[in-house]
Amino acid sequence: MKKLAAVLLAGVMSLSLCACGDKTQVNVDAEVAPVEETSTTETQAADTTEATATERTKLIVGFDAEFPPYGYMDENGDYVGFDLDLAQEVCNRRGWELVKQPIDWDAKDMELSSGSIDCIWNGFTINGREDSYTFSVPYVDNSQVYVVKSGSEIKSEADLAGKVVGVQADSSALAALEDTEGKADVAATFADLVQFADYNTGFMNLESGAIDVLAMDIGVANYEIAARDGGYEILKDQLASEQYGIGFLKGNTELKDQVESTLLEMAADGTFTKIAEKYADFGLVESVCLEVPSAN
Amino acid sequence: MATSTMFSQLAGGMIVSIEIFVLTLLFSLPLGLLVALGRMSKIKVLSGAIKVYIAIMRGTPLMLQLIVVYFAPYYVFGIAISPSFRFTAVIIAFSINYAAYFAEIFRAGIQSIGQGQWEAAQILGYTKTQTFFKIILVQVIQRIIPPVTNETITLVKDTSLSFVLSVAEMFTIAKQIGAREASIMPLMAAGLFYFVFNYIVAFGMDFFEKKMSYFR
Repeated sequence: MKKLAAVLLAGVMSLSLCACGDKTQVNVDAEVAPVEETSTTETQAADTTEATATERTKLIVGFDAEFPPYGYMDENGDYVGFDLDLAQEVCNRRGWELVKQPIDWDAKDMELSSGSIDCIWNGFTINGREDSYTFSVPYVDNSQVYVVKSGSEIKSEADLAGKVVGVQADSSALAALEDTEGKADVAATFADLVQFADYNTGFMNLESGAIDVLAMDIGVANYEIAARDGGYEILKDQLASEQYGIGFLKGNTELKDQVESTLLEMAADGTFTKIAEKYADFGLVESVCLEVPSAN
Repeated sequence: MATSTMFSQLAGGMIVSIEIFVLTLLFSLPLGLLVALGRMSKIKVLSGAIKVYIAIMRGTPLMLQLIVVYFAPYYVFGIAISPSFRFTAVIIAFSINYAAYFAEIFRAGIQSIGQGQWEAAQILGYTKTQTFFKIILVQVIQRIIPPVTNETITLVKDTSLSFVLSVAEMFTIAKQIGAREASIMPLMAAGLFYFVFNYIVAFGMDFFEKKMSYFR
């Protein structure tokens, strides 16, 4: 018995050692490569301080992968979406490597200011955040709407009094409901305002009757309702309307200008519209608002 | 979407979860033993410092510890963070957190062995180190298997916390598939993955416990 146990122990240990060896090696490789890259970029940057642009080799885009159709995981396990397609095209034209980094939405500010990501490109609302980020030109006109179950007795904003309303934490719908110049007076009539981490949980609550109304962005609302084969309605009364832009670290106008100029180039040659048409089912063609530079 | 696609995507995420699991155990178990020995040390400064460490690790949420480990280099020292540090930070945070819990389990185990054994070993000419490794530790391991299994199973489920540092492990993948499909099925499937994996862990530990029971 003792021998058997000893052999077993030795076996388990050597196994875990092997596993460890492999793992560390992989990790070391993975870590060394980017570090070298950064250091070379830094040296180059230091050498060419007076040159117009830093030698950027990649663009790390932070996004919430639970935000279709702007950024989500497709059936092949790849991250896709309107915003990510736009980012890919920008990177192709600039010769950058696009790194799609799904992030925890609540940690986005830490990610951005610590340099873990270069920008937030994810149906990112400009309105109300102007002072916190450096934004590109707006490229989508978005509005926040109320979603209810089909056949609900709620037909207008006035009917919301005494109802339980759900909203995504730190979303612009929540901001509108908390804004004293916006819908704070309407929110005051709610029985309760519940915050969710993601829209799937929100819809599960709505479907099960735990909440009566869900306040959210219209693009996502269209996607969710289509994906659930209907059964929900969007109220005519809207919370607010706003615009989406690409958010960069406050003061990082250099990168903003680079991305923005390529984006405007894509608008001018029609690529932008072409990408929007890929997501036409979700009402994106009607909502895009990027002005072609010649019109300015 | 075909269920098989969903399962293969979840399995891909499970690999990340298992990596976190294996590496955390690998580092936190030996570290936990050191911490336990430090906690029992006669040197007041050392045992006092270890007490503070254990209090902080057990008294604050693991999610906060993850955030601190990853972002502290930037916010405290102004060092730019390399994105590849994400995974490393997850392993560091999990290891130091679980080491604190394991240390207390080890301490309970070590202190449960009667003082008489130490004295008997001393008479037989064993040094303290020899006594610890040859006589005490084997009995300790046998006794602490059930509580260690508890912690190990908790660790499997805790791996889902690592998404706060944007490490996409299995539960994150499940939520992302759920968002795309507008369905809760991926979450249920994720539950099945955890259950099966934990069943295997518990089975392995049970087997190990039986093999170690030769003192009884």
